[in-house]
Amino acid sequence: MATKEIEGALESPLTIKMKLAWRSFKENWKIFSESKIGVLGLWIVIIFAIAGFIVYPILAATVWKPTLSGMVSYDPVTGYDFTQMLNPAPPSLHHLLGTDPLGRDVLAQLLYSTPREFALGILAALITVFIGTIIGTVSAYYGGAVDTFFMRLADLVLLFPFIPFLIVLSGMIQIDLFRLALIIGLISGFGGITIVLRSQAMIVKVKPFIESAKVSGASNPYLIVNHIIPNVMPLSFLYMMFNVTGAIFSEAVLSFFGLLNIKMSWGLMIYTADTAGYIVGSNIGHYWWLWLPPGAAITLLCGAFYFIGRGLDEVVNPRLRRR
Amino acid sequence: MLKYVGKRLIQILILLVIYIAVIFFLLHAMPGGIKAMLTMNPNLTPQAREAILHAFGLDKSLWIQFLTYLKNVFTLNLGISFSFYPTPVWNIIAERLPRTILLFTTATLVSFFIGFSSGKSLAWKRGKASEYVATVIGVITYTVFTPLLIFVFIWFFGAYLGIMPINQFLNPDLWLKTNFTAQTIFLYLLLTISLVGAAMLAAFAVARKVSHKVKTRKIIFYTATAISSAFAVFWWAVSPYGIYGADILWHMVLPVLTVAVVSYAGTMLVMRDSMLETIKEDFITTARAKGLPDKVVRDKHAARTAMLPVITNFVLSMGFVVSGGVITESLFSWPGMGMTLLNATLGKDYPLASGALIFTGIFVLFAHLVVDIIYAFLDPRIRY
Amino acid sequence: MSAVLEVKDLKMYYSTKQGMVKAADGISFTVNQGESMGLVGESGCGKTSVSMSIMRLLAENAKIVGGQILFKGQDIVKLKEEEMNKIRWAGIAMIFQAAMNSLNPVYRVGDQIIEAILAHEPDVTFEEARERVAELYKLVGLDPKRMDNYPHEYSGGMKQRAVIAMSLACNPDLIIADEPTTALDVIVQDMILKELSKIQKKLNMSMIYISHDIAVIAEVAEKIAIMYSGKIVELSDAVTIFKKPAHPYTVGLMSSFPSIHGEKKKLVTIPGEPPNLLNAPDHCRFAPRCPFATKECWEKTPPYEEIEPNHYVACFHPQNLRKQVSING
Repeated sequence: MATKEIEGALESPLTIKMKLAWRSFKENWKIFSESKIGVLGLWIVIIFAIAGFIVYPILAATVWKPTLSGMVSYDPVTGYDFTQMLNPAPPSLHHLLGTDPLGRDVLAQLLYSTPREFALGILAALITVFIGTIIGTVSAYYGGAVDTFFMRLADLVLLFPFIPFLIVLSGMIQIDLFRLALIIGLISGFGGITIVLRSQAMIVKVKPFIESAKVSGASNPYLIVNHIIPNVMPLSFLYMMFNVTGAIFSEAVLSFFGLLNIKMSWGLMIYTADTAGYIVGSNIGHYWWLWLPPGAAITLLCGAFYFIGRGLDEVVNPRLRRR
Repeated sequence: MLKYVGKRLIQILILLVIYIAVIFFLLHAMPGGIKAMLTMNPNLTPQAREAILHAFGLDKSLWIQFLTYLKNVFTLNLGISFSFYPTPVWNIIAERLPRTILLFTTATLVSFFIGFSSGKSLAWKRGKASEYVATVIGVITYTVFTPLLIFVFIWFFGAYLGIMPINQFLNPDLWLKTNFTAQTIFLYLLLTISLVGAAMLAAFAVARKVSHKVKTRKIIFYTATAISSAFAVFWWAVSPYGIYGADILWHMVLPVLTVAVVSYAGTMLVMRDSMLETIKEDFITTARAKGLPDKVVRDKHAARTAMLPVITNFVLSMGFVVSGGVITESLFSWPGMGMTLLNATLGKDYPLASGALIFTGIFVLFAHLVVDIIYAFLDPRIRY
Repeated sequence: MSAVLEVKDLKMYYSTKQGMVKAADGISFTVNQGESMGLVGESGCGKTSVSMSIMRLLAENAKIVGGQILFKGQDIVKLKEEEMNKIRWAGIAMIFQAAMNSLNPVYRVGDQIIEAILAHEPDVTFEEARERVAELYKLVGLDPKRMDNYPHEYSGGMKQRAVIAMSLACNPDLIIADEPTTALDVIVQDMILKELSKIQKKLNMSMIYISHDIAVIAEVAEKIAIMYSGKIVELSDAVTIFKKPAHPYTVGLMSSFPSIHGEKKKLVTIPGEPPNLLNAPDHCRFAPRCPFATKECWEKTPPYEEIEPNHYVACFHPQNLRKQVSING
């Protein structure tokens, strides 16, 4: 009876956990928000997310709805504007960022591609972090041959000429966005991230609480999943940001070379303009709206995730902090 | 020292074999890989298919195929290029690899020098406005989409200012009446640069032996460098090749600048962090207490020691720089390995594409070895 | 006897986010030619801040806000950086707290000593400097052949000897030895300290030993200054400090260390923690830990006075308190 009352008076373990998590989040947020570059990155990402996930659907459903006469379509892939005499057309009131060589609206293409870039970057990074975390902690925990094998493999992946490899691969199989995320995620999951997470896991491994959990009869997989992985998670999260940058960059390069099997992306927008001869020689200054907006978008989004990574670095690695 | 180099050499060789294995299994043994490509033609009779498979050894077990492939790579027998039929792949690579090496090495030296010295000053003048500005610029150039940067360069230097050549390896009008190929000139260029480099290295070694005074050493080194460079310039000026060599070098400026700009910030940011760590070390306080001038403490003690992690990081970023090189080469039409790789892929020339990929990897591994040896020279703790 | 170093009312503060840290707050002492002084106190009491002020090797957020440091009559607080560089090592040399890390790992040990010689004596040739280093190596008990080795090839004791040799390289008038032997094991510690003391007497140099360990200082220093919370609380010759300690803190310090030579007695620890130098109080800083603190001690800072010839104390109740302490202990 009495114990029940006490239990009732106490908060449930879940609430305590939530409260603790909230408190540590608040503390870390304070450190993170002191890093100007990290906050800047976060803002850029938020703006892109709003533009891609909210603004585009609204615009597509209202202003950019296909006109009844069928004269103008803002569809990013099959769009056209018959009221336009010449394509590509410079920015105007109807087309805020002009049209591309096929008469499609540049702004619509830009916004349409944004959620896809997010999806690709985050999917690839999640796969990388998932593999990297498991391999890093397992290598650290078991050591020996497993450790040596994965560390040498990581050395190789680090030196791997990634973009050249993807280029050659794209000539042999059809690569779409999902497959690309899978390939990037898989390969980089065995790369540098395992080395970093392994060394972090090595530090955690020798902590007293691991020893006491072992004594109380925890199995090895249980220890890894419940004690070691949660302690390397912050670092995993940090590396996830850098991997998002890498994935978006790779996609942009490949589609810029026209090697991906996709309908629209920022890289492809530049490819279309380039193959149509609008970025060659002295044309380059005249048709700036064909390459500058997508190029800037790639740079900004890649940069933003990198900035967040650097901001998180100060949260995770206290030695970098300014006292 | 020799033992260390030997050990690294063996490690690199093992890595090379693993690399070739990875490439083999990903590109050749995969469903939809080369095997499928070769036999895709629906008009092939079963007998013809068998014959093709047999000719390429594809009917053997995967293991035997791999060993054959490995042997072929090491004997430089990479097959015949489809697009340059019947030129062997190796001949094409042998022609183009030096161009990439020259571009990559020059850009790397430039970017390392810029990154190293700017990172050094940033850490030394911590908290100043210049530190903030330089860091922001560095981060921007580090994350910029390489094609965007190239477009901006081409627009600014080529179209707007009109002072730089664009989209060419050389100026075709100039080369119309020549009876020698660009490759000859190019190899002469490479030879000249190597000789001047060797002369500088020798001068450095001699200066170290001859004198212990920094000033005398500097005089010896700079005089030797000036004399050997002057001699090289003189030779090119009087030879009939002079203008052609200059043409190639002139076309190299923007590509080198691009790769350097894209990759310098990595060195700079790591150098800054490493330098900040080193400054806290006790031997820096000792060096100050010895009454050494500020500059000597910074360059001789702090920067020299802080350089070591930067070099390690540099090895790790090599893949990144090579990727940047591919983009740069194809956008500036610099006919090196990167452009070959891309064009071969676009032209479905599989032997050339995979050969170029293999040699890009070998190039990276070799560069890795070179950097490792340099590292061993710089860190006495490894040398012995 | 002429004074080599006179520190007068030195005030060195760190400005931090939380406020001013008064690491040295009105320090005064004199070191004469050929004299060795010990500066003793718990870690964090400002000993190293004093030595760094004398070398003018201050952190970015540290500043000498008052007082004078006269080196052979010249106030070095006011010197320009280039002029100060001439005094460093040639006038005042230093043996650092962490000798293990005082040598740059990428240069040969001998070259690092030669570097100091050539920086101050440009007329000396490289070969002459090398010969001098060889002599110094013999003096500190190292094999001159080891000059061409790198620091990682030295043992801890050898590094310590090399650092001592380095401090002697330019024949300085004064050497500051900041915890010169803390990182070594006790036997080597004792040996090196004795040798250092011998060299100092032989070359008739002045010396400041800095340590948290009064037993170590007692063996080598003629004069001892006890520091507490950024201030010197007691200063006298070694014999007086040991025979008639006047400040309660000195008494406590001495009871905290076992003596190898003396009789067995119970060790007394000083209760409480060293004070926080941040926003130091206006009253006696030792009062919170002092068993004899009275109302007066909590109200104002005791003056730093000469209670008997050459015996300075900053305490309202200066006396020989040995008896009472042993009772309390």
